[in-house]
Amino acid sequence: MTHFFRKTLLSASVSLAALIAAQAASAQEAVFVMATNEVGAPTYNPIKATMLNTATGLIFDRLVSQAADLSYHPWLAESWEEAPDGMSWTFHLKQGVTFHNGEPFNAEAVKAWLELFKAAEGENAYMAEAIASVEVVDDHTVKFVMSRPEPNLLYNLSATFMGVVEPKSFAALGDDFGVTEAYGTGPFKLESFTIGQETVLVRNDDYTWGPAVAANHGPAKVERLTFREIPEDSTAFLELKTGGVDFLLSVPADLTAEVQKEANLAILTMPGQDVWYMPINVTKAPFDDIRVREAAAKAINQEEILASVFGGVGAVADTFLISALPESHVSDGAKIHYDPDRSNALLDEAGWAMGPDGVRMKDGQPLKVTLWTQSDSIFRRLTEVVQAQLKAVGIEAEITTFDSSMIRDQYKTGEQQLAVRSYNWDNADIVDWFFGGDRLGYPNVSMFNDPKAEELRAAAMTGSKNMDERVANFTAYHEYVLTQFPMAPIYQPVQAYAYNKDRIALPEKIDASAFGASAFLDLEVKQ
Amino acid sequence: MIAPVRALQRPQGGLAGLWLALVIAAALLAPILSPYAFDAQDLPNAYRPASAAHWLGTDEFGRDLLTRLVWGARTSLSVAATAIAISVFCGMVLGAAAAWFGGWLDRAVTVVVDLTWSFPEILIALILVAIIGPGTLGTMIAISVAYLAQFTRLTRAQILTLKGETFIEAARSLGASNGHILFRHLLPNALAPVLVSAMLATGDAIILEATLGFFGLGAQPPVPSWGGMMSAGSALVFKAPWIIIYPGLAVAITVVAINLYGDALIAALDIRQKLRRSP
Repeated sequence: MTHFFRKTLLSASVSLAALIAAQAASAQEAVFVMATNEVGAPTYNPIKATMLNTATGLIFDRLVSQAADLSYHPWLAESWEEAPDGMSWTFHLKQGVTFHNGEPFNAEAVKAWLELFKAAEGENAYMAEAIASVEVVDDHTVKFVMSRPEPNLLYNLSATFMGVVEPKSFAALGDDFGVTEAYGTGPFKLESFTIGQETVLVRNDDYTWGPAVAANHGPAKVERLTFREIPEDSTAFLELKTGGVDFLLSVPADLTAEVQKEANLAILTMPGQDVWYMPINVTKAPFDDIRVREAAAKAINQEEILASVFGGVGAVADTFLISALPESHVSDGAKIHYDPDRSNALLDEAGWAMGPDGVRMKDGQPLKVTLWTQSDSIFRRLTEVVQAQLKAVGIEAEITTFDSSMIRDQYKTGEQQLAVRSYNWDNADIVDWFFGGDRLGYPNVSMFNDPKAEELRAAAMTGSKNMDERVANFTAYHEYVLTQFPMAPIYQPVQAYAYNKDRIALPEKIDASAFGASAFLDLEVKQ
Repeated sequence: MIAPVRALQRPQGGLAGLWLALVIAAALLAPILSPYAFDAQDLPNAYRPASAAHWLGTDEFGRDLLTRLVWGARTSLSVAATAIAISVFCGMVLGAAAAWFGGWLDRAVTVVVDLTWSFPEILIALILVAIIGPGTLGTMIAISVAYLAQFTRLTRAQILTLKGETFIEAARSLGASNGHILFRHLLPNALAPVLVSAMLATGDAIILEATLGFFGLGAQPPVPSWGGMMSAGSALVFKAPWIIIYPGLAVAITVVAINLYGDALIAALDIRQKLRRSP
């Protein structure tokens, strides 16, 4: 009896000790909630994916990092030189860098990775298109031979899509790369990934090659990161409030006040990279008539939306680009502003006469269109306001709600007429991405394919010798696209993050254009 | 006196009946009763709590909540009732045919029905809405198919029991046709339990409709439905809790009322005793 009792006591104390140990370990962990517009990313394959989430940038390092002022700094590349004519670039790589699977990172690996990138010929191929070939100068020096000058090369190399993948496993794993396994040189390794639900990353203990913009160059201070995908902002907020998670990678404007009410929670804001807009499918009647498109675009009252839906936080959008970009400075005439008188006049001119029930009619047909949105509450709310604003000029829009992770596939059918969506990008080439004639359906939700636009697009994407030329060409392209009304700009938010102050210590300054690898290297979990 | 009226004379049946009558009247008279248009936005007056102008307050677009609740009753009740009516009709036809004719028809119907019976209604409804597409019509079809198995099985079981009764044998020996026996003798006798079950299923169907609406698959905005209103309110539960509370209460009270009335109806129809008497 005594023996039995003692044994039980012993095992109980052992399990208690184990429990305490487990708790100590959990202090080195943090749970993040993925930004709602990144929910449903199907793969961590930077070469093939058309959408990548924040965790991707922690698995794969890039050659170049970007600071908050949009200048470029070393990362996997220690330094670089551009030839005076822009026809070649030489990159000096860091030494002693290894991939997660033990393969060395060197000039050969960069050459093999870029060849894979070019061979994939996917949606992202344009980023490396100007690189004609890669020459291995020595073990840690590569030379990119260019087919044309590419002023945007450093931006592309700093983008998550150009995260350096380990070429051997990439070739061996095929489509499983990024889903079951993924190997980069990043500060965290992929441990598990359940699509649409959860990603677990563990620290790369060998990491010492962090980007120049981070204070800590590695290894990271947190051992284990869990990224949960919660499509509903208010659910994510509740999780944060009750301590289920430590950090939300996106907080909509209407919830920031609720976060600030909580003593243990804090908000971090960074310059926004999002634009909310209403794509207009230019191939679907009645929107094949540019007058109807302009009327719909100018029926959107951006100021009212900013004030009522987003609580006045952020700014209205009147072009397709965030206003921090120089290419957003188009002529005033091309900017799209609320103008109900113009909308009504245009619809009258196009033959749509106001009917008795407030819906315009033409040849006995009502002006009835579909308006697609995604299931997050903020999208649904904004869409209902857009619906009422369209109704005010006599356009009856029927809302159809799709699951946020499914809607991209729906766009590919090309059946949409109007939609409400947002994108996140801080380079003018997003105009090419969403309005390029070879990407109809998705990303080109507007199904916009215009010969003049394609000409300007080619000049902007491939015809610029230096940055000034690129800005001028993109401004012209952007301006022309705006005058064709394939979309109506609505809103640009600031990027807000929410976190638990008792759990997370943030660095004083995050010198990066987004909350990415450098912020995660400096981030600490409080004991 | 007919059974539905007798059910009202029981205390819980009377209370439930009163509430149901109120909701049905509100749904029918929504266009006359509501002082506002259900889609009239008034953004400066969004998130207002109850006041003299808006008895239940306003929602996130400044729309009158009472108006939307009344119109929501119209959506929820009409979708649920229509769906169950379709389901009862199809279920009775299928169940009666299977039980009466037997053989391969019975086996085929039973296999298909048992297959759908093995899944929860919500799953079947979700799959169907995904195929048909969101909206009122899609929800209606999805709900009616989801409950089809229940009525088919019930009718089939009733007919199988009645089929062996002496009065059926008598009718047959007198030379009555299949149709005559089915429609004059069997179905009327099987009707009572099916109707009670339909009554109770309508309560479930309202919940199912609200669930689909909550997922954004039901009636599409700006048409209000109780589920859709709760879904919008769930994101605003800290800011304006009344947006989710009133439609939630409406669903809860209505479903409880339907169940109470259904219970009273069972008692009034004397079904349990009837079932006990049959072998």
